[in-house]
Amino acid sequence: MILRTPPPKKQRAEPILHESPSPQVASEGRLVIYEDNPLAAPPPESPHQPSDHLLCTYQCRQMVKADFIDALSNAEKQIRDYQSKLEILNENLSKAEVERKKFRDQFLYAEQELAAAKGREQMLHDQLLKEVNDSQERFKKQLETNNELKGKLQNELNLRKKAESSAASAEEKAADIEGKLTQFSQSIEREKKQLQNELSQLKGESKLSISRISADLERTEFRANSAEKESELLKEQLEDLKKQLNECLNQKSEVEKKMSSFTFQEVTSSESSILIKHLQEELRNYESEVREARKLKSSHEDIELLKAKLLEEKGRRERAESELSKLQEQQICLSNLEKELSLWKLIMKDIPGVSCPEDIPVKFATLQKEVIASTMKIGETNARLKQIEVGLDAAQLAKQNAEAEAALDKEKAEILKSEVKRIELMLSMVTEERNKLSNAINELKRHKNEEAGDEVASGTVVQELESSLAKKESCIKELERSLHEQKEINDRQHNEIKMLHDRLNNEARRIKSLDRETDRLRSEISLLESKLGHGDYSASNTKVLRMVNTLAVDNEAKQTIEALQTELQKTKEKLQALEELKSQSGDTGKLVDSYISEKITKLKEQIATLEKREERYKTVFADRISVFRRACCELFGYKANDYTAQPEISHQVDIFVRKLNSIPAFTANLTVESFNRRTLS
Amino acid sequence: MASRTVAKDIITLRGSAAIVSEFFGYAANSILYNRGVYPEESFAKVKKYGLPMLLTQDEENEIVGKEWLEAGKLQRVVMVIMSKATKEVLERWNFSIETDSDVVEKGVSREKSDREIMREIQAIMRQIASSITYLPCLDEPCVFDVLAYTDTDVPVPFTWIESDPKLIANPQMVKLHSFDTKIHKVDTLVSYKNDEWDEQ
Repeated sequence: MILRTPPPKKQRAEPILHESPSPQVASEGRLVIYEDNPLAAPPPESPHQPSDHLLCTYQCRQMVKADFIDALSNAEKQIRDYQSKLEILNENLSKAEVERKKFRDQFLYAEQELAAAKGREQMLHDQLLKEVNDSQERFKKQLETNNELKGKLQNELNLRKKAESSAASAEEKAADIEGKLTQFSQSIEREKKQLQNELSQLKGESKLSISRISADLERTEFRANSAEKESELLKEQLEDLKKQLNECLNQKSEVEKKMSSFTFQEVTSSESSILIKHLQEELRNYESEVREARKLKSSHEDIELLKAKLLEEKGRRERAESELSKLQEQQICLSNLEKELSLWKLIMKDIPGVSCPEDIPVKFATLQKEVIASTMKIGETNARLKQIEVGLDAAQLAKQNAEAEAALDKEKAEILKSEVKRIELMLSMVTEERNKLSNAINELKRHKNEEAGDEVASGTVVQELESSLAKKESCIKELERSLHEQKEINDRQHNEIKMLHDRLNNEARRIKSLDRETDRLRSEISLLESKLGHGDYSASNTKVLRMVNTLAVDNEAKQTIEALQTELQKTKEKLQALEELKSQSGDTGKLVDSYISEKITKLKEQIATLEKREERYKTVFADRISVFRRACCELFGYKANDYTAQPEISHQVDIFVRKLNSIPAFTANLTVESFNRRTLS
Repeated sequence: MASRTVAKDIITLRGSAAIVSEFFGYAANSILYNRGVYPEESFAKVKKYGLPMLLTQDEENEIVGKEWLEAGKLQRVVMVIMSKATKEVLERWNFSIETDSDVVEKGVSREKSDREIMREIQAIMRQIASSITYLPCLDEPCVFDVLAYTDTDVPVPFTWIESDPKLIANPQMVKLHSFDTKIHKVDTLVSYKNDEWDEQ
């Protein structure tokens, strides 16, 4: 081992003296006389050399005594000096011991502090480990909760999708059924209206026919009455004629009597013969007239009967025809209604839980309730989903926070590790210093044993110790300051990070809520646009009208006009017949004239109304036919007036339109022909 | 054109109704020509809205009467293209109308540049012409119908009857541009039946 404090240099004169007293002191007052003897050079090594070598005379003895006494006194002085020095050294030693004790206490204190630091470090390490374990456990738990939440979310999403799909299918079904129901209800209403219109028309027609029949009946009655009256008149005429004839016969018989009486007188004059001839001629004329009257009367009666029969037959035929047409229409309507009924029944069979039409609104109400319930469920699932999403977001945030905390804890652990390393370094430094101190203490001890106390060396050692202590204290203080500052910085940074995290979380939540709202609004907008584009409408505010195909309307008007025209013709014929009858009946019809005139006025009024109706229908027909012609022109691009007069066009119409049923082919042919004509011309 | 003060670009209810009614006529003709419902020979070229428009050979092409527009009772005009054989609805050209109720009730007028209205209508006409690029081909002979969505209190003239809306099931929809006279706003939308090729 290398000694720090070199052993003191050995002086030639003094070391022996220095060393000599000690052996003297050690030995029992043995006097050793110095001789300049090389053998005595290593006296310390052999202090017990025999005194047999030493020889002196009396003078020498006295001199030696004096010298010895001087030397003794000097030695005593030196001893005193040495004692004083020793005392000083002892004091110094005690001081050094005190200082050593101090240093030792300080060393122990440092050791204690080191142990405490180690303990603290261990505690911190344990705490860190605990925190890391806790954070890992928390992280694991949060991961588990996150996974559970994810699983729940997926389940909820699946449920939601299923519910949405079921709701969508139910809605579609309900919408389809609604649409069908509305269509059917509309068609039912339309058909009801049509049937009601037809019914009213039929009622009107039946009333008209009844009135016609009653009018016909009245006419026939009137005719019958008139015929009866005529027959009575004719009978009266006949009776008159008979009476006249009888009178003529009586006159003839009288004249014959007279003539017979006159024959006796034989005064026959030509005048009487002429008179007789005249009378005979008149008789004959009267007979012929009577015969003619009878013939006329019979013929007239026959004609009347035939006319009446003809009219009746015509009326019956018309009625039969109209009723046949009505029957056909009714049969068509009936077949249509039966088809629709069968369709409804099929649809009702398709709809589950519906056995009769009355069940349809109930079923519809149940379906609506189901739709409402499903929408409510969808809303609830949406709310739950949103809650789960919020929870998931919170879990993710917590996870992020935990991750951040774990990172922070890792950083802390690393910082603590670095601190531990630093402390270990410090510890190594301190141990080194301790070793130094222990070496110094050993050296001090050595110094103490050798009675050598180099004040400078101990002082330097003490100073070195003090300086090293001061340095260590300053280092410790600096380290503590830096630790404190770093702790403060870390705390500040932690707080800032926490604040930023909170702000970030709030902003993220706001952004997510806004995203959800935008998605909801976009879905609503898309739904509304789809409904708008689809053509949905509210029946309470809106009705749908369609531009009519004017052809059917014109046909109906034509038919009504034709029917009215035939009626008009019939009434005109009847009126003519009545007028003829009136002219034929002559004087005897005076009684009937009033009745006939009333009837005639009524008929004229009817004719006027019918004519007005005819004119109205004609104007309507003219308007509609013009619209129809315009539509035809717009559609096909051609205008044809009186096409039937042109044989070519009528031929083309027969071929393309009637046989092939293709109007575009007809128009194409017309364009090609017109083009050819123009190019050729 | 009806009463419009060109100098100050003031538009009255009657003028706006005339513009919208005229637009429906030209749009219907354009649709019939572009979709090939009627042959090309049926149409004649005229200049309108700064574009060459095709019209059928007739003086009047009024589809919807102005009375409904002036009364603010007309909500929508729909042109339906159907298969002639099966009567299946293939396309629906939907023109939605929003009327300013203040103008109808109080008779006030609005201000808008005539040129701007024509520009907006021109854009719609261009879109109708370009619709053949994405609409499915009409290979079979077709016919058309005109539907009018009106208020329930409107009396039905003899040239119109009540009808069902003739909807398409699961249609594809394309929204076109709209134009606004400040009194009547017309939105255009075409919905068409999904083509089998597209579904594949």
